[in-house]
Amino acid sequence: MQTTFTLEQLAQPQIAEADGILKTCVHYGFCTATCPTYVLSRDENDSPRGRIDLIRAMLEKGGPPDAKTVHHLDRCLSCLSCMTTCAVKVDYAHLIDIARNYIEDNYRRPLGERVLRHLIAELLPDPRRFALALRLATFARPFAGMLPLRLRNLIELVGAWPPAGEILTPGNHPAEGVRKARVALLPSCAQQALDRNINAATLRLLRRHGCEVLVAPGVGCCGALPLHMGRSGQGKALARRNVAGWSAEAARGLDAIVVNASGCGTTVKDYGHFVGGEQAKSVGALARDVSEFLLELGLERGRAAPYRVAYHDACSLQHGQRVTSAPRKLLARAGFDVLDVPERHFCCGSAGTYNLLQPEIATALGERKAAHIASVDPDIIAAGNLGCMVQIGRFAQAPIVHTVELLDWATGGPMPPALTATRLREPAVRRAPAAQDEATSAPVAADPNPTGIW
Amino acid sequence: MTSPNLEAFFSAITGALGADGVNRSEETIRRYGENTMPGGDRPPAGVVYPASTGDVQLIVRAANTHKVALYPISTGNNIGLGSRSASAAGQVVVDLGRKMDRILDIDEKLAFVVVEPGVSYQALYDELLRRGNKLMLDVTSGPPQGGMIGNALDKGAGYSPYFDHFGFSCGLEIVLGNGEVLRTGDGALDSKDLINWHTSKYSFGPILDGLFTQSNFGIVTRMGVWLLPRPPAVRSFHFTFPDDDDLQTIIELCRPLKLSNFVPTLFRVTNDLYLCGSEGESPEYRASGGKRSISDEGRHHLRERHGLGAWNVSGAFYGTSAAAMEPQIQRVRDMFGQSGKARYIAHEDATAIPPLQVAINAFSGVPCLGELGLLKWRPGGGNIWFAPGTPMDGGVANEFQRLCRKIYGEFGFDYTVMNVCSARFARGLHVITFNREDADERARADACYRKMSEEVVGRGVFVGRAPIDYHPFHMAQTMPAFRQACAGIKAALDPNGIIAPGRYGIIEVPAH
Repeated sequence: MQTTFTLEQLAQPQIAEADGILKTCVHYGFCTATCPTYVLSRDENDSPRGRIDLIRAMLEKGGPPDAKTVHHLDRCLSCLSCMTTCAVKVDYAHLIDIARNYIEDNYRRPLGERVLRHLIAELLPDPRRFALALRLATFARPFAGMLPLRLRNLIELVGAWPPAGEILTPGNHPAEGVRKARVALLPSCAQQALDRNINAATLRLLRRHGCEVLVAPGVGCCGALPLHMGRSGQGKALARRNVAGWSAEAARGLDAIVVNASGCGTTVKDYGHFVGGEQAKSVGALARDVSEFLLELGLERGRAAPYRVAYHDACSLQHGQRVTSAPRKLLARAGFDVLDVPERHFCCGSAGTYNLLQPEIATALGERKAAHIASVDPDIIAAGNLGCMVQIGRFAQAPIVHTVELLDWATGGPMPPALTATRLREPAVRRAPAAQDEATSAPVAADPNPTGIW
Repeated sequence: MTSPNLEAFFSAITGALGADGVNRSEETIRRYGENTMPGGDRPPAGVVYPASTGDVQLIVRAANTHKVALYPISTGNNIGLGSRSASAAGQVVVDLGRKMDRILDIDEKLAFVVVEPGVSYQALYDELLRRGNKLMLDVTSGPPQGGMIGNALDKGAGYSPYFDHFGFSCGLEIVLGNGEVLRTGDGALDSKDLINWHTSKYSFGPILDGLFTQSNFGIVTRMGVWLLPRPPAVRSFHFTFPDDDDLQTIIELCRPLKLSNFVPTLFRVTNDLYLCGSEGESPEYRASGGKRSISDEGRHHLRERHGLGAWNVSGAFYGTSAAAMEPQIQRVRDMFGQSGKARYIAHEDATAIPPLQVAINAFSGVPCLGELGLLKWRPGGGNIWFAPGTPMDGGVANEFQRLCRKIYGEFGFDYTVMNVCSARFARGLHVITFNREDADERARADACYRKMSEEVVGRGVFVGRAPIDYHPFHMAQTMPAFRQACAGIKAALDPNGIIAPGRYGIIEVPAH
């Protein structure tokens, strides 16, 4: 794509970066087939290709963007499915961040929207403040039906609050047995307010596998939430604190920064770009999704009954970090019967704060995802990101848990709380293994009634 | 055709299908007109979205009434051959993929599926997996979101024993140009109870199915596709060869293995750039301003980096386990080893080389994106596929290799080809990637395509599926009787010429 930025515009680093990205798009349109909003609306402006054009026009023109552009860019989930599909690998992730930042700086939203966005950006990154807000929200639950959709969704997120367990404080959690690794855990902000068992299970699992786990002082929100709302200044300030905290620990020897909220993981891995500088780059290079790290470390063979576990690929894991096989391999090793969900490349509609800001599309995607999950008849749903768990939990019948909760359970930990509240079926005979990302030569289980003979 | 009454047509369609059934926004028209050809975009007059065969009939009848030319597409992933572009600007795109995307039936006992035009390889793969992974569909190595019907009707192919996508289709439902619905094969029986529609093609009367491939005689709304019972294990094998002229030896080695069907898959015989090209942009493009082909040193360097050869051969066996297939692999290794030039790459090692993993996926019926990277070999988004074929005769194939490589070089492009080899014939999938934003490069790409076409025609070789820019050009290369026959059929089945006029060069009055 050709651009017409002036030299003056190109002197601004963000415009220069956007210019470089825009020029790589050649409008093949592969992205449209895998873009959830385009598939739902068939509106070109709701496709990555259309949005790229809108961003180009907005940045070239300068000044306040028009409402139509903001409308269509706001509807982007940042699921990055388009980046997986794109033949020329357009760096859409950074382009949409630049655009969101530009809108935030140059566009005045209606009052209600400003208040809601401000609330989200201020509350969610702080687990204690968010927890307090959730406590207040429980009182509003009886009146939820009378509230506007966006607020209603916010209140519905609360679920069975308050969650059990404590918000993690800085400190060291020693390895059980011989220490194999020293890792830092990102406690993840909103996750701590909504579900504390994920961190508890992660700690148990890592320690049981010989990891000393530390929660570094000064480390908090990774900055992803404000970043994806166009508040990159706020996001960067949070990220810099984390870089400082983890760099101090890295100086004492750190094998990995383990992240169990994949939305956060994508951002932490990108700190080199987001924050800039060598320290941030080193921190980004240390970041691992918990599943990647456990696979590298070696998970002890699990003793789980072969429950049918539908594995949901969080977009931030499959598209943002390209981590797809590690969680499946771990769950299978733990003893579960891992099922792939049709249309697995599609977002569930959670997308950070998207289900709060774009409830109609989020609901359509959530229902679609839940129907696909139901079609594989699972006992349990597993995902690697709390946002997806909350969103899918609103629409799916089967209980949903974090992958680490199942791995912890299978290797000696307690049953995840979400499962204790439900009656699981007696596990059936193991079926054929789930497909991998790539074909392998691994034989599938013998079928007692085969279609063909080999 | 007399002047179309577009407003009346869209009004009729909106009335019947609702506002959601029509899109005439400026952005949509612009995007549906885009393609990767040298000849420019072809913006349609609008897009309509049928949800059923009945809707397609309604659209075709309205088009006849208002003299509007239609252009049906399935999923619109025909990149390098026309994308979603109509044959001519101003036609109305009938986007079947948006709403007609249902898998109508899967028969697990008889191993076939019945699909609508919007069903993609990925969607069917997902569904088969959900049902326990008992059946394997043959996939292309192109976009996973590509449509099965569109590919089969364009005579697309994959690599497994069921590679011939049209050949392994059985039973079509078509809306003809006059709005009537035709069922082919055993579906032609005038009965509601059609148990053989998708199991038998050849019972009574002429085989009409072929009329609807690479043509414009009707709009196919349903197709049966045969599936292979999924083998318990797939074991691939790969060989690299160091020199360009090794193609002669390779073809001689592959032919007997395919004639006897000892190797059940087709052979992918790919040159260095076809594989390395998917891993990044040409390292020399920007330095030469796109005027020159990549140097031999540049190619050598890429081969070293990716562990590949000037030619790379991939095939696979199916069986109960890797161990059970080992003797067959050894037999193939022995044969290729006799050449003294082949370097063997085992299955496990190949999985670590992304372009070879693409081959493994393709042999295994797993859709994947890997090969799409080829399209970024040069910037600017231009690419056209040139798809002639040669007999499986090493000498002939190598002569064509030399010829086409020379012509690529003459126009400053990079020879990029995969020969997909069956027993007697190899289709040469050549891609010309070029900077479509550069007028000079665009003109050279066009000239390169035309010259290669003319040269191979001069040696008795025709192309297969062709980019839309060249449909009339290739039709003019056929014998007059062929053109007249096509025109006669067009006049009979689509008397007002409303379905994709010009597609594959077929018009009511043949060019002389």
